[in-house]
Amino acid sequence: MGGEVVARSAIDQQRAGIAVVDSDGTVTWTDEAWAADDGEASLPRVPIGANLLEAYREYSDPRAQAIANAIAAVLEGKVTYFEIEHRSDPDSPSFLTSVAALRGSGAGAVVIDKVVGGREPSERHRPTVVRASGGAPFGHEGERLTPREREVLDLMAMGLDNRAIAAKLRIEYTTVRGHVRAVIEKLGARSRLEAVARAYRNGWVPKG
Amino acid sequence: MSIGRDERAAPVYPVPSHVCLLHHGEAEMRPAVLEFMREAVDRPNEALLCFGEPGVGERLLRDLEAHMGHEFTADRRAGRIMVGEAHSDVDQQLENFIAPLEELRARGFALVRFVGVVAWDVRHFPPPEDFLWFESKMNEVIAELPVVGLCPYDLARIPARGIAYGALETHPFVLCDGVLRENPQFIPPDRYVRERLLRLPWLQGEGLS
Repeated sequence: MGGEVVARSAIDQQRAGIAVVDSDGTVTWTDEAWAADDGEASLPRVPIGANLLEAYREYSDPRAQAIANAIAAVLEGKVTYFEIEHRSDPDSPSFLTSVAALRGSGAGAVVIDKVVGGREPSERHRPTVVRASGGAPFGHEGERLTPREREVLDLMAMGLDNRAIAAKLRIEYTTVRGHVRAVIEKLGARSRLEAVARAYRNGWVPKG
Repeated sequence: MSIGRDERAAPVYPVPSHVCLLHHGEAEMRPAVLEFMREAVDRPNEALLCFGEPGVGERLLRDLEAHMGHEFTADRRAGRIMVGEAHSDVDQQLENFIAPLEELRARGFALVRFVGVVAWDVRHFPPPEDFLWFESKMNEVIAELPVVGLCPYDLARIPARGIAYGALETHPFVLCDGVLRENPQFIPPDRYVRERLLRLPWLQGEGLS
């Protein structure tokens, strides 16, 4: 999911706070909900000009650490979209923080923090849910791909060679080569076809 | 059905065509391959590309020189006889194959013959599944070109899965014991990825190897 889509979707949500960060994690834009910081979010709303990545890294709170890791992963191009869901205890609201790459804007990312859960004590306790392991902030392998790499993977699955993919996407052959190599590496495959087979089996490419 | 063959004549290859040669050991391969190559050398309006693992193409040409009793120095210098090398990266291998074909085509040769010596799961060669994709892709690459390709599959060296999925499913024609036949097992390249490659036994399950 691209950053714009995430942002547009979240703007429609009540109590969503949105921040845009540049390539080093500095906040460059926020929406009113983020700026207002009603205190409900439990984590500080880092203001424009401050570094969200560094600020969250200084907190011992696991959610802050997870968000920092997610931002770093998105900025490094390792993932395009990341979600962290958190509830500190059964009586607290649940927060969903999404970090997404800003499509077409270089290394920037958008961070959206919103309340998604109720306060009802009967609701199942849900601790921080992070698609990460060993400190490495990853979703499943398919989520590591950039939007362009996903397009390339779709065309690989159709059996196209690099020249045909370059013609189809109107990009340079050498650029396609780079994307194909990245796809193979990110999917943990040893070969072009193993990457396609893995994507096909996991439903990351159309089965039509 | 057999095509254009009697007991004395060499096979008559359709143009374009992508043919697998099934043979058992080098002794069976040499006569068929050297005859195929010799025809290109003998005809000035034809060109020849020898493709395979590093060193294989050169060795084939030396064998042919010995067979014909003269060197091809002038033809090689003129680029009528070329050598292409396989590569462990299938995309690079495809480029190594297409680039000389395009060059020979641009220079207007009436026919380009290539010999692509097959290897399986060895260093300097793509992984098997990528090699199968390459073999299937050959059919698209030569579809509009005056090209005839002969791919020797050594039954003594290539595993059964290589013969079944490669020789028999990626070549529209099979040459065996001197007889050229249309191949009913052939799967067109636009169906090969989904019908075969994604179903390869070693690509199934979580433990891909």
